[in-house]
Amino acid sequence: MTRPYSPDELLDLAVPYALHALPDAERDIIESELATAPRVVADAFYDEVRAVRETMAVVSAAGAEEPSADLRGRVLSSVAGDNVRTLGSPRRRTAWLSVAAALAVGLSAVGIGLSQRPAAPQPSTAQQVFAASDVHTVSGPIPAGGTATVVFSRDRNAGVLVMNDVPPPSPGTVYQMWLVGEDGATSAGTMNAAAVSPSTTAELINLGDSTKLKFTVEPGSGSTQPTGQVIAELPLI
Amino acid sequence: MSAADLDALLRRVAQRDAEAFAALYDATRSRVYGMVTRVLRDRGYSEETTQDVYLQVWRSAESYDPASGSALAWLLTLAHRRAVDRVRAEQAATQRDSRYGAATLERPADHVSDAVISGEERRRVAACLDGLTDLQRECIELAYYRGMTYVQVSERLSANLATVKSRMRDGLRGLRNCLGVR
Repeated sequence: MTRPYSPDELLDLAVPYALHALPDAERDIIESELATAPRVVADAFYDEVRAVRETMAVVSAAGAEEPSADLRGRVLSSVAGDNVRTLGSPRRRTAWLSVAAALAVGLSAVGIGLSQRPAAPQPSTAQQVFAASDVHTVSGPIPAGGTATVVFSRDRNAGVLVMNDVPPPSPGTVYQMWLVGEDGATSAGTMNAAAVSPSTTAELINLGDSTKLKFTVEPGSGSTQPTGQVIAELPLI
Repeated sequence: MSAADLDALLRRVAQRDAEAFAALYDATRSRVYGMVTRVLRDRGYSEETTQDVYLQVWRSAESYDPASGSALAWLLTLAHRRAVDRVRAEQAATQRDSRYGAATLERPADHVSDAVISGEERRRVAACLDGLTDLQRECIELAYYRGMTYVQVSERLSANLATVKSRMRDGLRGLRNCLGVR
């Protein structure tokens, strides 16, 4: 089997790679080449990448510029409110069985809590939602494949999301859930490729006055506001 | 703040230490925002992107591995990736309109406190940048600060791909030696 790049050609691309200056397709090919390249070649490549990134980190002193003073408050408060939790489950089930499974996980977690701590445990979000008198279910297809189902209660101000057979997000992106109300969108958590399994569940806390749950594709580990492609929307009414 | 201090702060951020996070923000914000705004050239976009960068730092600090480099390099790499993704998305949306068409780089106002980055350090970096050839500096600026791929750089400069790659590499090596980066 011939390789698309000789070792010298690969090393020539270490600098553009480190500067994020490769076309995405070429970057992907190079990363898979490096995974199987001789150790000495991969080491030399990543050594150069590291040196370039250290150099540009030092260079950043020359262009340093103060952001507005307001940004500090926005950054610190976005982090203070960031209690995103994502739960993964490897089991493949229908949506309703998965919801039942999510409830069972909640129950068994409470059981463990009881045996270890004598203090009265809080019922899980799933338990509270299922016990509510106003429990609602909405479900919809995800165009890329699979379905999303939300079981929620306005009384409990919470819900449980179940995603079945949804393909994982592309490398470098996450799925992000947003509770959308009159005042805009609030992040309700993210799912990376590792978190998305044939059946994925997540808790939605503090539904507030949101009227729908929106799913977008976001870069990195997620965004503060929806910026990416919308893949689905479910009405929470 | 020394590299070791920043590494220690980032490790505390991984433990969800909000005080360490605020200290890390204060020690690095002018570098991160300065780089992001040179790429995005728009105050609103740059502040949004900077905010997203620090949220990503908060969420993914655990993935920082000191063996693979300094905390500052980790942070600026993450920030640069995000800025480049944003500029490419905006360019795709606007078909390279005039917003990103300006050819010259505005020099940022010089109001970063000496306590964060010393004037001596900034002068040393500027001197090393001045030591590059014009073509080396252009290749690095178009790629790093304009978010261009090396293929786009070669088209912009009407230079062949091999030349662009070798000028980038020589330029980075020159900078590295001049700055004494190990």
